[in-house]
Formats: sequence, C-alpha cells, structure tokens
Amino acid sequence: MAGIMTTRPFMNKRGFLVTALGMGLILANPVAIAGDDIGPLATLKVNKARAELGKRLFFDKRLSGDAAISCGTCHKPEYGFANPDALSEGYPGNKHFRNAPSVINAAHKTVWMHDGRIGTNLNDVTRGMITESYIMNMDMRIMQERLKQDSLYVKMFKDAGLGEPSNGGARKAIPEYLKTLNSEGAPFDDGQMSASAKHGLELFKGKAGCIACHNGPMFTDGQPYNTGVKENFDVFLDPARHQAFIGYADFMGIVNYMNLKRDPGAHIQKHKADGSDIGKFITPSLRELKYTAPYMHNGMIKTLPEVVAFYNRGGDNDRNKDIRMKPLDLSKQEQKDLVAFLLALSGKPLTSSRHVWTEAYPKEYEVIANWLDVPN
Amino acid sequence: MSSLKKTSILIMATTVAAALSVSVAAAMGDKPSASASGMSQVGPTPAMAGTFAKAPEAAIPPLAPLGEPPIPPDNPMSKAKIELGKLLFFDPRLGGDASVSCATCHDPEQGWSWAEDISRGYPGTVHWRSNQSIINTAYYSKLFWAGSVPSLEAQAPSAAKGGVAGNGENDLMEARLRLIPEYVKRFNEAFGEPWPTINNAWKALAAFERTLVQRDTPLDKYLLGDSSALTEQQVSGKALFEGKARCILCHNGALATNENYYNIGVPRAGRWLEDGLAQITFRFEYYAKGATEELYRTVKDDVGLYFRNKNKWDKGKFRVPSLRYIGYTEPYMRQGQFYTLEEVIDFYDRGGFDEEGNTTSYPKTKTPLITKLNLSDEEKEDLLAFLEAFTGEKIMMAKPRLPGYKPLFTLAELEAAQAAK
Ligand code: HEC
Ligand code: HEC
Ligand code: HEC
Ligand code: HEC
Repeated sequence: MAGIMTTRPFMNKRGFLVTALGMGLILANPVAIAGDDIGPLATLKVNKARAELGKRLFFDKRLSGDAAISCGTCHKPEYGFANPDALSEGYPGNKHFRNAPSVINAAHKTVWMHDGRIGTNLNDVTRGMITESYIMNMDMRIMQERLKQDSLYVKMFKDAGLGEPSNGGARKAIPEYLKTLNSEGAPFDDGQMSASAKHGLELFKGKAGCIACHNGPMFTDGQPYNTGVKENFDVFLDPARHQAFIGYADFMGIVNYMNLKRDPGAHIQKHKADGSDIGKFITPSLRELKYTAPYMHNGMIKTLPEVVAFYNRGGDNDRNKDIRMKPLDLSKQEQKDLVAFLLALSGKPLTSSRHVWTEAYPKEYEVIANWLDVPN
Repeated sequence: MSSLKKTSILIMATTVAAALSVSVAAAMGDKPSASASGMSQVGPTPAMAGTFAKAPEAAIPPLAPLGEPPIPPDNPMSKAKIELGKLLFFDPRLGGDASVSCATCHDPEQGWSWAEDISRGYPGTVHWRSNQSIINTAYYSKLFWAGSVPSLEAQAPSAAKGGVAGNGENDLMEARLRLIPEYVKRFNEAFGEPWPTINNAWKALAAFERTLVQRDTPLDKYLLGDSSALTEQQVSGKALFEGKARCILCHNGALATNENYYNIGVPRAGRWLEDGLAQITFRFEYYAKGATEELYRTVKDDVGLYFRNKNKWDKGKFRVPSLRYIGYTEPYMRQGQFYTLEEVIDFYDRGGFDEEGNTTSYPKTKTPLITKLNLSDEEKEDLLAFLEAFTGEKIMMAKPRLPGYKPLFTLAELEAAQAAK
C-alpha cells in the first residue's frame, strides 16, 4: 500500500495520520464497470486472542479522555455498528458534524472516512478515533497507563503476543477485532434472494446504473463523487457541531474555514482551486443498510425508499454533480425491487457476545499493592 | 516602576547566589548545575548557616512589603483584557469536555487552589502534584513546583491542554470562543483582532491572574511601619524565622521565596502506594516527560527539577514556594504531604523528617541548609503565629455569568449557500 501512496501524508498534533490520496490510489483500485466482481466478501484470517482483546477495548470507555465514551458509544452494535442519529454524537462538550458509518466490513476497505482522508490502514483510523479532540480526545500515553493498571488487560495483551499493554498494541488489537465484524448470512451472499431482490440486482447493474460506483464485494469503488446530497444545516446551527467542524476544516487546511457553509468532503485531499471537488464523498459500502439508517455522510436521507427516490430524480442540486447522476425513470415497482435488493445485502445482527464485549468493566482501577517493589 | 523593583530584588538574590553557590555545591560533594545563578542550590554556605544566630541581612534579601506585580511589555494590562481573562478563567469551555475550568481546580473557596493532598485532575484522572494557589503567581519568574515555565502566558496553555488538567486542544478551544458572540466582541476590544485566538486567550488569562495579588497582609502593614499589625508573639516568630529557624535562607524577599531549587527532605507521597488512579498518572508523567526507559521503570518518587535538566544532583529539588496566602492553601508541599502548618514546622524542626522519620527518596541531594532546629514548643507556636502574618483577608470572587453560544450563520444564509451550490 505504502508504495502507491503518491501524496503527502502528514501527522497532526495527536499523531493522526492524514493522507491526501493521489492518482496512485485510484490506479490501485481500478474502477470496475463490468459488475461481475460483486460477490461475497473474502474471508479474513483473524488472530483470536488479539481480536478478543480488541473487542474488550472497543467497548471500554476508559479509552476516552474523560472515560465517558467508547467506540461502541457511536458505533452501536444494534444499529449495525453505526449510529441512528443523522449526525454522530461527539466527545462530551462537542458533537460531530458527520454521520457515524458502520464499521462492519471496515477491514475490507482501503480508504476510510467520508472524505477518504485515511488511505493507509485501520491502525491509523483507530489512532485518529482515539486521539481526535471531538471524538475520544484521549492522550494515548494516559490510555497506555490506564491499560497497564488493569490486570485482565495485562493478561490479554500477553496472551495476544503483544507484550505489556501499550498504545501500539491497542492499535493492533482493535483492527484485529474489526476483522471479525463481517456480514453474516446476507441473502445475497447465501443465494437466498427473493424474486423482487433479484430483479433489483438487474436494475442495479443495468437501468439504474448503481454499479458504476457501488461495485466489488463491498459495493464501493472507494472513490469520491458528488451526488448532490443536501447540506445538513444542523452542522452549522448547532455550535457544538460547528466548533468541531471549524476545528476540522482549519486543520485540513481550508483557508476560509470560518466562512464555510458546506461540508467540503474530499476537497480536503487535493484542494482543487476551482472548487470542483467540493462536496464529493467516498462511495459507501451498501452492506448492512438494514441497520444503519439514516444515510449519506450527513444522515440527510432517512430511509432506503427515499435514497432510491433520490437517485431516481438524478440526485439533488449541485453544479459539480457527477454526470452519472441523472433521472432514472424507474417505476414504483422498480424502485421497490431496488430497495429489496439493497436489503438483501444485510446479514444477521452482530449483537451477541461473539461480537460484543458483554462482561462488566471494573468500576475502579486496581491498586498495585507492592508498588514500591515492582518495576513500573 | 514596579517591575524595576521586582528586578532589583532578583538581581540581588542571584548575585548572592552566584557568589555562594559553588562553595555550597562543594560542601555537598555535588557538581553545581550549569547555570549556577538561580538554577541550582544556593544560599549561604553551611559555614555561614552555622554562625547564623542573627538575621543575615548582609547576604539575604530581607522580607519586604509586596510591590506591584511586574507587567511584561508584550502583554500590557487593560480593563477589557482583565475582564475577559476573568470570564475565561471561569469558563469550562477552555478544556476538553467543557466541564473543568481553571477555577474548578483553582477554587477561590479553597484558596484559589484545591484542598486535597494531590489535586483533582481532568475527569477520569487525578493529578500528580498538589494544587498551587493562583494568588501572587504574578510575581514568580518560574511557575509550577519544578519551575518549568517562565511566565503566566506560557503556563496557561499547559494548564488548559495537559492530559490530567484541561485536556483541551487549541483548534477546538479557539473554535468554541469564536462561536460565543460576547467573546468575539470582548477579544476584539482587548486585542483589536477580528476573531478570538487561543494565544490571546492565554494573554487575557495572564492579565487577569496579575490582578490576583495580596499586598495588605499583617506582615506588609508591619513592614510598612504599622508596628501594631503584628502581635508580640508574631514579632518573636519573625525573629525565629529570620534567625534560629533559618526559614529566611530560602523564604526571603517580598515574595518570601528566592525561587531557587532545593531538596528539603519531603518524603514520598503515600497516595501512590494506595491509589490505582494516582499510580496511572505517576507513570504517565514520566512517560510524557520523556524519561529514559530505565527511569520510567524504576522511579518511585517525584524527581522535580531533574526532569528539566537531567542532572542527577537535581533529583528531588523543587522551587521554593512563596509563603504568602498559605493560610488558605493547605495541604502543603508538592504532593500535599502535610495538612497543617504545625506539621510543616515539626518537619523542619526535625531537620526534614516527618513524624515517622521518613525523608526524601534522594538523600544525596538533600540540602545541608536543613538541619535539626531544636525549637521549643513555645518557639514553634511563635513561628506558627508569624507564618499566619503572611496571609490577609480571604480573596473571594463569585463565578461570573458566562456568555452563551450562538450559531454563526442564519438559516437564510445557509439556504442561500445551498441554493448557490
Ligand atoms: C464520538 C463518536 C465516535 C466514536 C467514539 C468513535 N467513532 Fe469511529 N467514526 C465516527 C464518525 C463520525 C466517523 C466518520 C468520520 C468522518 O467521516 O469524518 C467514524 C469513522 C470510523 C471508521 C471509518 C469507517 C469507514 O468506513 O470509513 C472506523 C473504522 C471507525 N470509525 C472506528 C472506530 C473505532 C475503532 C473507535 C474507537 C477507538 C471509534 N471509531 C470511535 C464516530 C465515532
Ligand atoms: C456516481 C457514483 C454513484 C452512483 C452511480 C450511485 N451512487 Fe450511491 N452513493 C455514492 C456516493 C458518493 C454516496 C455517498 C454520498 C454522501 O455521503 O453524501 C452514495 C450513497 C449511497 C447510499 C447511502 C449509503 C449509506 O450508508 O449512507 C445508498 C443506499 C446508495 N448510494 C445507493 C445507490 C443506488 C441504489 C444507486 C443506483 C440507483 C446508487 N447508489 C448510485 C455514489 C454513487
Ligand atoms: C485539573 C486541575 C487543574 C486545572 C483545570 C488547572 N490547574 Fe493550574 N494547577 C494545577 C496543579 C495540580 C498545579 C501544580 C502542577 C505542577 O506543579 O506540576 C497547577 C499550577 C498552576 C499554576 C502555577 C502556580 C505556581 O505557583 O507556580 C498556575 C499559574 C495555574 N496552575 C494556572 C491555571 C490556569 C490559568 C488554568 C486554566 C487554563 C489552570 N491552572 C487549570 C491544577 C489545575
Ligand atoms: C533550604 C531552603 C528552605 C528553607 C531553609 C526553608 N524552606 Fe520552606 N520550602 C522550601 C522548599 C524547596 C519547599 C517546597 C518543598 C517540596 O514541596 O518538596 C518549601 C515549602 C514550604 C512550605 C509549604 C508551602 C506550600 O505552599 O506548600 C512552608 C509552609 C514552608 N516551606 C515553611 C518554611 C519554614 C517555616 C521554614 C523555616 C522553619 C522553611 N520553610 C525553611 C525551601 C526551604
């Protein structure tokens, strides 16, 4: 991967690796037009002990600065590891300005975040989530010492071959856990689709043209497009969100960040002078949509029939909208079939203890009783 | 004018320091630190201290009434700035989760400090040192227990951003200020810039802190000529302070500190042996300050000044704190090892040992200036009475009403932008 990253990766204050994606990445993921590459996901090899550790970390609130929220607070298992709010909550004292995406199948992706700002690996995504001031606002050095104070973590890190608890180890274990979150039993994968869904698949590949962007086993080409989704004004009308947005836009190098009235999306990657890349967002996966409403980067579309209606009218207004976004002239029945197909891409809920850490966390930190006699 | 006064006191102290530090260091069998003036062990030689029955006027700046605080030329005071600084001091939005302000930890009710041995921390943490009062910090030339920052302007960001204090991030705190119209107005008035900036927030905080001074203690009044301001007992205590008890060696001048660094024998904080949260922060502090692997693994106490220069002869040394306002700032010492001034006096009387005979973890660097004092009970009471003269009225301040957020754009503006997409 690193070899084809052609552009300037840089770190923010808290070690958030930001990558401006260049042509290299685009070439590395050739856009599949044919559509015959859609199919079940590859099976990932998982280190069980590490994944188990990652599971405990994912739901542990002690991974946030004030120990109030965990990854699971925003990425909720019962909502397909996404969030039912249009715009995500944030670290206490803040709110987020985007929709929290599902992390199911995230290990199958090569580009993450709605604006595609991370193109390296889930280790970097995890670091970004933990340290970003409006997400978990955690000084990872404190996190490491918290983990070392928990004897179960000491054991789990050791069993996972990660030595003593460390932030590097945590950033290996969480991605390993994310590898265990895969679509399971989706009718599409199991060959169990209804007639309506099968018809929907034909439309998806044909008349509706969805496959142009939503292709591959993840139903995404990993590329940014402008589909003309309306702005969610709450980003600007709620100062708790706007402050996070300003902090983000400032950090991403948007010059007039105080005056910005729309989400720049993937513009932050190349900052095209003519602004033609403003409002492009990375094509999301279409798996697990059954659980992850509302939709789009800002949750502006509440239901799947509404998403399909959106595409049927050629998307909403934007002068830089992708040329493929044009009225589709789908009948009511065709729209229903398309929705049926989209739903057939969702599997069983991943809400049992196989995927969710269900044991209680200690309420207080243990005391290292012989503190004077043991190395720190 | 006032800043000149301050400077002259400092010059005096450092001259004395420069003249004497080498011989002190030699007496300790320790190398002097690189900057002999000010940074290292200073004070009269042990030989002098031995013949020290009388007040050492010749060598040591005497106790003096407190003048006006020095004002740095690049951050002049103004009413607008001070008032803004006050709001910011009480505003929890200058911190990570918007729940902790400077005033939360530096609580006016608790002497602008926090009355636990180790300070409360950012939510989910505890600090690792005792909280210091804000009162009279305007006069220090180095702040924090280990004197690690040189100015209030430089101190504020480390307070607002440190992981166990404010845990805030610049961009986000600045963005918050910009969405509070009252702040936009006040920053503009105070600094003449269109938007609040985080650097100007630090300046405003520093300006406000420079107003938190106390210059009318009984001691100030006495030194200005009102002989009735001290009781007879306090006058006896003053003589002990300047003589037999030798406090004046370090607690001298108008601020009652020479701002030098010593290891006086304060033992390790018991809290680290019994509190898991405190053990976490202890390790974090070493990790964050870039300790070597070996130090991080083995250290079991606060190395103080050593953090800053990595000179082994500076282990366990701390900046001499002012004794002003201590009537309201218990507990005392860097991790609040002592809850009362009686205990402090007993500690000095024993030559730097607590009740159980514990002393510093770094006996090699302990100053020879601290030795058994053999004070009688009456002398201890007199000294205690005199220590009270460093404190005047309690400085109280009600939490101001904080200005609210307001959306920056109207719905109509957003709709217009949408339509123009
Ligand atoms: C406060 C809410 C919140 C918390 C807590 C949170 N996330 Fe996220 N997460 C988000 C939001 C919002 C995004 C999308 C951000 C964007 O596009 O700018 C996101 C994006 C992601 C993505 C990228 C998904 C994709 O397909 O692009 C992954 C993976 C992820 N988070 C994992 C985690 C992990 C692991 C943790 C815990 C260490 C975590 N998140 C904690 C809100 C949260
Ligand atoms: C030009 C490329 C392109 C085409 C063609 C396209 N999409 Fe999309 N799709 C996207 C992008 C980009 C987004 C994300 C937009 C955003 O977040 O604002 C998206 C979002 C979605 C979502 C929301 C997913 C979520 O988790 O929020 C659904 C559902 C969806 N598309 C379905 C379809 C269907 C059905 C079709 C065919 C009718 C289609 N798309 C055609 C690019 C495309
Ligand atoms: C979580 C509690 C906490 C918060 C919040 C906090 N402080 Fe402190 N403050 C402390 C502690 C503890 C110390 C001593 C730390 C040390 O020496 O390592 C201290 C030291 C100081 C000092 C040095 C005093 C001296 O004698 O050298 C100043 C000045 C100060 N703080 C100002 C502030 C300001 C301004 C803010 C808000 C921006 C603030 N503090 C927020 C706990 C806090
Ligand atoms: C050699 C220099 C020196 C001498 C002499 C000295 N002190 Fe101190 N004093 C210090 C230092 C250094 C500290 C902080 C030590 C620490 O926390 O480890 C301190 C702390 C204190 C404190 C606690 C202040 C606070 O805010 O927590 C008091 C009270 C005090 N000294 C009183 C006295 C008295 C009374 C005497 C005389 C009996 C005396 N000191 C003699 C250097 C000295």
